[in-house]
Amino acid sequence: MTESIRFHEKYNFRKIFLDSIYKLSPIYLAKNNPVMFVVILGFFITAIMLIIPGQIPKYEINFYLAVSLTLFFAVWFSTFSEAFSEYEAKARVDSLKIFEKEIIAHKITNDHYIEVKSNSLRQGDRVLIKKGEIVPTDGFIIDGSAYMDESMITGESEPVYKNKGDHVIGGTKVIEGEIKVEITSERGRSFVDKMISLVSQAKRPKSQSEISLNILLSGLSLIFLIVAGTLYYILKSLGYTYVNIALIIALLVALMPTTIGGLLPAIGIAGISRLTRDNIIAKSGKAIEAASDADIILLDKTGTITEGNRAAIEFIPLDNFDVRCVAITSYLSSFNDNTREGKSIIDLIESMKIEIPDKIIDITLMSKPIEFNIKNRYSGIEISNPSKIMDYIKDEKICMKFMEILREYATKGENIKILKGSVDALLPRIDNINKEEIEKIVRDIGEKGETPLLLTINTKAVGIIVLKDRIKTGIKQVISDLKVMGITPIMVTGDNPITAKVIANEAGIDHVISQAKPIDKLNKVDEEQRKGHVVIAMGDGTNDAPALAKADVGVAMNSGTRAAKEAANMIDLDSNPSRVVKIIELSKQLLVTRGAVTTFSIANDISKYFTILPMILVLNNPKISYLNILHLTTPETAILATMIFNAIIIPALIPLALRGVRYKPENPRKTFIKNFLIYGIGGALLPFIAIKLIDMLLAILMGVK
Amino acid sequence: MINFILQTVVIMALSIIVSYIISKPISLFIKYEKELPNKYLNKIESALFKILGIDRNISMNYKQYFLSLIILNSIFIIFDTIFLMFQNKLSFIGPKYPGLSFDLAFNTAISFVTNTNLQHYIGELSLSLTSQMLVIITTMFIGPSSGLASSLAFIRGFLRKSNSIGNFYVDFMRSLIFLILPISIISSIILVILGVPQTFSPFYNISSITHQIVYTGPVASLESIKLLGNNGGGFYGSNSINPFEDPSNLSNFFEMFLMLVFPLAIPLAFGNLLGKKRGLTLLGSILVSMIIIIVLSEILKPIGYISYRFGNYSGILFNSISLLTNTGAIDASLFSMSSSAIIAFLFSMFIQSIPGSIGTGFMYLIVYVLLTLFILGLMVGKMPEFIGMKISPKEVKLSVLVFLTHPLIILLPTAIALSAGYAIHILGNINSYTYTEILYEFTSAAANNGSSYLGSLGNTFFFNISTALVMFIGRFLPIGLMLAISQSFSLKDRKAGLEPLPTQGILFLLLLDFMIFLLAVLTFIPFVIVGPLSW
Repeated sequence: MTESIRFHEKYNFRKIFLDSIYKLSPIYLAKNNPVMFVVILGFFITAIMLIIPGQIPKYEINFYLAVSLTLFFAVWFSTFSEAFSEYEAKARVDSLKIFEKEIIAHKITNDHYIEVKSNSLRQGDRVLIKKGEIVPTDGFIIDGSAYMDESMITGESEPVYKNKGDHVIGGTKVIEGEIKVEITSERGRSFVDKMISLVSQAKRPKSQSEISLNILLSGLSLIFLIVAGTLYYILKSLGYTYVNIALIIALLVALMPTTIGGLLPAIGIAGISRLTRDNIIAKSGKAIEAASDADIILLDKTGTITEGNRAAIEFIPLDNFDVRCVAITSYLSSFNDNTREGKSIIDLIESMKIEIPDKIIDITLMSKPIEFNIKNRYSGIEISNPSKIMDYIKDEKICMKFMEILREYATKGENIKILKGSVDALLPRIDNINKEEIEKIVRDIGEKGETPLLLTINTKAVGIIVLKDRIKTGIKQVISDLKVMGITPIMVTGDNPITAKVIANEAGIDHVISQAKPIDKLNKVDEEQRKGHVVIAMGDGTNDAPALAKADVGVAMNSGTRAAKEAANMIDLDSNPSRVVKIIELSKQLLVTRGAVTTFSIANDISKYFTILPMILVLNNPKISYLNILHLTTPETAILATMIFNAIIIPALIPLALRGVRYKPENPRKTFIKNFLIYGIGGALLPFIAIKLIDMLLAILMGVK
Repeated sequence: MINFILQTVVIMALSIIVSYIISKPISLFIKYEKELPNKYLNKIESALFKILGIDRNISMNYKQYFLSLIILNSIFIIFDTIFLMFQNKLSFIGPKYPGLSFDLAFNTAISFVTNTNLQHYIGELSLSLTSQMLVIITTMFIGPSSGLASSLAFIRGFLRKSNSIGNFYVDFMRSLIFLILPISIISSIILVILGVPQTFSPFYNISSITHQIVYTGPVASLESIKLLGNNGGGFYGSNSINPFEDPSNLSNFFEMFLMLVFPLAIPLAFGNLLGKKRGLTLLGSILVSMIIIIVLSEILKPIGYISYRFGNYSGILFNSISLLTNTGAIDASLFSMSSSAIIAFLFSMFIQSIPGSIGTGFMYLIVYVLLTLFILGLMVGKMPEFIGMKISPKEVKLSVLVFLTHPLIILLPTAIALSAGYAIHILGNINSYTYTEILYEFTSAAANNGSSYLGSLGNTFFFNISTALVMFIGRFLPIGLMLAISQSFSLKDRKAGLEPLPTQGILFLLLLDFMIFLLAVLTFIPFVIVGPLSW
């Protein structure tokens, strides 16, 4: 399924191009991107000076033109990156719409029915729902009655009988009967709608870090505006005749954080669309930031840490039976057991390479199955004609003790029950061995967090099957990733403390809430938040909804109930709880990318000063020629090279903005130092090299020696 | 060389020891905003506040706090201005000098209230002893006490959750009565012992070959608070170059020590309350950047002797420490300094937080911490936090405004002074030297430093009024903004657990210094290139 909703559509470059042109509007920029607003103003000033004749000395026209063009391209690259990322994100989100099933509903109007899309239903509308159909949206029954399958909501597979006046839930299915329903809630703004509003720069509610960054960048721009403006007048009064407006604008634009200013919108949108690509829906930017800050995570044991079903891992023989006997007895008692536990017993026998003879297998066909029920708490088979069976298998040479017992009962003419089940239920009837002996073994098993099943043939105990919660493959990695990122996982389970502890230890979790009632999850979220922690909670049941709503990040599984999905601020469409690490990773990656490009942008300035300033000043002031460490060709080539670098670094970094800075779960300090070295120190050095190269190229192109 | 290093290390070490002792009461004053835990101090305080009508139980939010500060300071600005204008009528101890012009009086009043002490007059030739004592020395206690008080409230905002940051009058009186006044009295006595004059006679006539006038007055009492309070304004026009202000190597040594005591005590007090390691990290980053500045100031040797009495190294060291602490006193003329020393001095004032002036220097340092955390902190992959508190857009905005104020009030007036001909009027021509003098003047005013190339040359209407405004804005706007930052933090929930980018340890120490210098260089380097770098 994941593949099918991946984004395959071809890019519509015309649309992206037009959007990027529209975004060049100074009004749009002033509202959304203060840094680029200043750059476009710089473009207008130089352009106007070019258009009005007599403003610029003739020999400087080409230079003004070049500066003007590079300014324009810097802005355009920025709006292009924004338009591109918006387009991509929108396309991705659109592709998610298939998750919101469109249902055809029979709307009742004036005694006849018309077929409408479930989306168009409004509160107060009445619909008819026939057998086998799905309830389009929440409402109550005004006529008729039906058996409803609400398993997708409650997880309860037993059909529920609903009568007039009862509430029905959208997404549930009518199994038997026919009902008329009055709609009580509109389909309204679905989570996909919320997501779509997140990927448009103009409409998007900005997240805290983005608002702060915008303030910081505006502040820096303002500082450089003051610097460039006053520098112009100071240089003029100091007699630097070479200085002109274009140079000052060039200096200003070079110093302003145009790289991060240009890419900031794209980074934010791309961050959200990366989540979408992994089939995770974020309802708000705030949730994404909270996910990056989380330091506590509540994990359900069942379904997240364990497979959700126990499996047999060992046979313990009793009363001189050997393992093969236990295996055969287990096989017979489990043959009709279609639960995963039952199957796991057969799997265990196979993995132990114990072969069950065909004739033994045939016993099952000649006997009556005993189904598991809550009262008896055992299951197995009953052989009502033991002598006939004994005749059939008398030549078998396996497990003599097993054969002996069967023979004994056969001669007595008693029915033979081969059972496996709860120790409590079966222990009272045992007479072949000491009960204390069994109890001791059972205790030992319990202390290991495992569950025993007793195997019996009538009153004879044969052995014990040890069942165990199997932890999911890969969950250990998930837990260790979480811990490395500084997040404490807490396991929530209804199990007894001993079992819980064992599972937790095996998965590598140090904190457990055992014998948890639904309210405990909410209480834990609350408790940790009071201590000042940022908490992620996951869940899929209606029970979980309060905790999901209270948590800083509530992740609901798409398979979960509607209430859970409403309460959560993130939804995992693949319903894979262990993917929470991915959510955290992507959220952190978004912040790291913002920080890295900001640092890179500011670090760039150091080298830009050295490329522009000495070249501007040295003509009037030869004393500072020692600052001209790069030995660029001429002032014009130096400034143009810097401007060109300034403009092309934006498209050069678009892939980084869209993909995000490489992030893997590791110690935050390590992440920091690595990124600081790459984007901070690297950012300070890269322009030296790049500008020198562009300068050499320009010198060749312009024919300057 | 070894001698120089030893000298620097001993001064710093001695200051830190005394700073550590002073940091204890400072942290008490921050923590116990209402009643002090010490029985005796509490009794003195209660009695004092009863007389003054200060109610300790009234807590102020940042606006009320700032308003109280502004009102108190404004009263002194008005009083000082009027007194100086009419000193000829109001003085009861001579000499009978004429009253100052309004603009000079206004400039001087603001200069001393704002802890700047820029002097466009020559003390011994312009001010009566009454003016020196009633206006100059008195105001020299007001400025630093206001600065220290605001830093107490500032730190309190980070310390606990509350919707107030303290009571200005309580903080102010505690700073003045329990800290600044007693230490200043002790240091005055030490200075007298070291040979600084303390007398009510304005001058002595000496008849030798010709008739000589030796100007004197209560120099020791002015000198101690001048340095202890990071004021910097001299009794004499020539400041500590005058042997009556700074008679010997020992007194020179003692004066350097006095300048450092309070600025280094505040990060330690912060550490006492909010984590020893955090305090030490901040102190460490201050010391590292101080050493960078001192090395820079000494790296190019001045031409000839700059100070016959103290030698080149000590002469420059005194000036460096004075500039770093935004005191502004000098014991060797700025005109004799090498370009690297002037660059070092300018950067001390651009940064104004290593360690900066009493109280405010530390507040600026925290603004740098916030900017560092925000700019670099995102790379950790978490929302930036300081001491378990999220840095939200509001604090970023306020920090950026603080950071923006400084270049604005330095560069704009500098450009105006140069373009509009005010500079050429007093300096004759504009070149990289005279330009530097103007840049230095406004930088010194904006950073509330007070050292100046211009001296009494600056006594023109334009420079008096412009520097007065710059000093006023440079002092009070950032204090107001930084108190708002503190209030904003005081409303926040504290998170448990480690900070994403821990503000303690060697890594943060280096990052903070890196960002401090990076931001200062990015903002100001062009103006240094065409100034001292072109000499």
